[in-house]
Formats: sequence, structure tokens, C-alpha cells
Amino acid sequence: MNAPSQKPSNTTTNTIETRTASNTKKLALWTGLWLISLALVAFGPKFLWDFHTVITCTLIVTNLFMGYKMIIANKEHLEGLDELQQRIHLEAMALSLGCSVVFGAVFGLLENVRIIASSPNPSSVLFVTGITYGIGMLIAHKKYL
Amino acid sequence: MKNRLKVLRAERDWTQADLAARLDVSRQTIVAIEKGKYDPSLSLAFKTARLFAQPIESIFDDEIEVTGS
Repeated sequence: MNAPSQKPSNTTTNTIETRTASNTKKLALWTGLWLISLALVAFGPKFLWDFHTVITCTLIVTNLFMGYKMIIANKEHLEGLDELQQRIHLEAMALSLGCSVVFGAVFGLLENVRIIASSPNPSSVLFVTGITYGIGMLIAHKKYL
Repeated sequence: MKNRLKVLRAERDWTQADLAARLDVSRQTIVAIEKGKYDPSLSLAFKTARLFAQPIESIFDDEIEVTGS
């Protein structure tokens, strides 16, 4: 056999493991910061600065910036994965997006058709998105192992 | 799609992790390809062929018989 005899490049800093680990850390950092800024926007005005408009607006802008950085980190994380890992995420996203659309559409109608008394909270769809994404990841991992 | 990845890897005494590192993919991808649960992209198939210095069709077999006219 005349296959190349070079050693695998796992001593370099750009193997898929190191790349994914680095991208995951970055994603975790920006997600954490986004979550903290969101919590400050949600609870700060009432409990910390008595609805001071300037502080609240500053925090909203900060939250949007953190959200932007989180989206970019997520994109870079996905781009750093190999083709099978990307496919697994794609299949999980397909399930998650589909379920969110179906659930969100009917959930928005529940008050109008008098099944529930109060207005449905749109953020409830986020729970469906998160849970179905997790389930989709488990199904796709099982499929390819 | 059938493939000879496991045989070629064993001939060189490489682990799945070794091959994964050489192809810059995860070990899970090598496992899935060897089990025939995942068909690699054309670029990964060519990369594999280059690594083993063999023609792509001697590593991957799509099991479709080509009949002459």
C-alpha cells in the first residue's frame, strides 16, 4: 500500500475536536451573556432601577447586541462541525421548526376559539422549539449510530 | 452504499479516531460510514480516496449494476 504515512493532524490546533470545543465555549459564553442581559431587561426595571428609561433602553440595546453575537457564534459553531454533525443538526432543526410552526399556529388561536381565557404567551413557543430540538438531536444521533 | 473503509483502515492498523483525525471529521462520522448508515459527500469521498491512494470506486460501491448496451 502506498498510502501517505503522515501522522494525523491531531497535534495541531485546528482539529475538529479543538475547533468544536472552542466554538462551543464561545457559543456558551455569548448565550450566557445574552441570557443575563435578558434577565436584567426583564427584572431590572422593577427591582433594580425603578423603571429608569435610559438604563432600560441601554440594557435593551445591550441585549440585542448580545443576541447578535450569540447568533454569529451559533453560525460559526455549525460551520465548524463536520458534514454528518451538520446533517444531525439540520434534521433536528427541521423537526423543531415544523413543530414550532404547527404548535404556534394553533396556540395563537386558542383564545379566539374560547378554549383558554387569557391571551396565549408567544414565548411559550420557545419551549416547544427547545424541547423538540433536543428530541430531534437524540433521534438523529440514534439514527446514525 | 457499501465501502471498504474498515478493511483499509485495518490494513494500516489505524483506529477509527486515527482515520477521523486524518480526514478532519468526527469519529462518529467514521462509525456511521463504516456501518453504511451515512454516505459521505463527494468531497469527503475524494479526500478518503486520496488518503488511501486508491480510486474512489475501489473504496465506495453504490451497488448499482451497470449493464452494457
